[in-house]
Amino acid sequence: MADELGVLDGLVTFYASHHAVRAEKVLAKGGYRVMLVPGPREISPNCGVALQFEYTHIERVRELLAQNKVQIEAIHKHRVEVTEDRLNRMRGGG
Amino acid sequence: MAPEAQRIVYFDNAATSWPKPPQVREAIIGYLEQVGGSPGRSGHRMSIAASRLVGDARDAVAHLFNVDDPSRIAFTKNSTEALNIALLGWLESGDHVITSSIEHNSVMRPLRFLEQQGIIELTVVSCSPTTGYLDPDDVRDALRPNTRLVVVLHASNVIGNLLPLREIGAVAHSAGAPLLVDASQTAGAYPIDVQALEIDMLAFTGHKSLLGPTGTGGLYVREGLDLRPLARGGTGSRSELEYMPDFMPDKFEAGTLNVIGLAGLGAGVQFLLDLGMAQVRQHERALISRFLVGAARLPGVKVYGPADPDERIGVLSFNIQGVSTSKIGLILDQGFGIMTRIGLHCAPAAHRTLGTYPDGTVRFGFSYFNTLDEVDYALVALAEIIEEEEHGR
Repeated sequence: MADELGVLDGLVTFYASHHAVRAEKVLAKGGYRVMLVPGPREISPNCGVALQFEYTHIERVRELLAQNKVQIEAIHKHRVEVTEDRLNRMRGGG
Repeated sequence: MAPEAQRIVYFDNAATSWPKPPQVREAIIGYLEQVGGSPGRSGHRMSIAASRLVGDARDAVAHLFNVDDPSRIAFTKNSTEALNIALLGWLESGDHVITSSIEHNSVMRPLRFLEQQGIIELTVVSCSPTTGYLDPDDVRDALRPNTRLVVVLHASNVIGNLLPLREIGAVAHSAGAPLLVDASQTAGAYPIDVQALEIDMLAFTGHKSLLGPTGTGGLYVREGLDLRPLARGGTGSRSELEYMPDFMPDKFEAGTLNVIGLAGLGAGVQFLLDLGMAQVRQHERALISRFLVGAARLPGVKVYGPADPDERIGVLSFNIQGVSTSKIGLILDQGFGIMTRIGLHCAPAAHRTLGTYPDGTVRFGFSYFNTLDEVDYALVALAEIIEEEEHGR
């Protein structure tokens, strides 16, 4: 989990959840590792769901989404900052 | 008098389909037990799972109707709501509308309301009293400079005849007006390709041949058409704004969606996609043929609409000379366990067209789950009703 979040350093934001779940489906089908996460408030006040992906694939991701008529708000280089270490500390109560 | 009185034969699928595929039941239970959550409202996994369910249902419907961009489909509670969104959201003061004389009240009532309010001018084009056919040339003759919409059903819920959508659409488009189609009776029973048929707006219900639960339906709006929403409220998107978002599908989906229903609808449509519409249609066509051939042999039975099974869907209206529809319906239910719908079927205009107003007709509505054996059984039941009537005289 920590590893995955570590490489999923791209973030797509959307205006509507319809497009967020479509994006997940389209990109997963295309063989990309993606993860839907709560949209970070500091980046966008819009849809509550954002999508993390590997930023190195940004051009192909953008293309695939456009081809499939998935509308996005923006793409950022951003990682949701919850590391596995931190989660473990919280789970352990420490 | 009744053989096999305990048998249940459900021929009221034109009202709502029964049974549903087991996958529909499983999807509904799956939402209750494993998904929960409100779609598009939160970022936690249960909310995202609900969003995925709704997204899968939307994708399935889009696939079935050959819609490229699933966001052009908004979910509603039924066809009626979808038709109201289309009619009230598109039409403006001074517009002229053309419709057919066999429309269901879900189209006729909103149109008559708008006409009564002095907002629109309405032309109701007469269909054939024998086949229900709407001649595209008659639609052309009804065009006016201010014609802004042509709205017709795909197939009649009374007569079962299919309308020539492509030709009617061509007439509408020649005047710059979009074509709105009420697909309540055909969605899931007959192939629909919105691109090939050049349909601009399509209203469908989920609980008939799409095999989903009641309380589901939707409206397809082609790219480039801009309608006002009927209701405004929370969508989970653009929450910082106090105004309704202007993009589909959120624009028409104010308030929490019927996620549990849409879970079932998605499963119903997926069932049809897996089967293929060609197979569904082929089976229903076989049921229609069997009934038409059998009914033609029964004395005093008049079946309405086209004699050619290729011109119709599995909605068949008939009367038996000298026997009231209510009596036939009662005997079929009580004596034979056959569920039908009698009367006017919410479409008084269609019955006026046929000359069956106000008594109406007896209507059989077939589904993919009906069998040839059930059709034969119903034909035997009708023969017995006729025989008994003759003895009773």
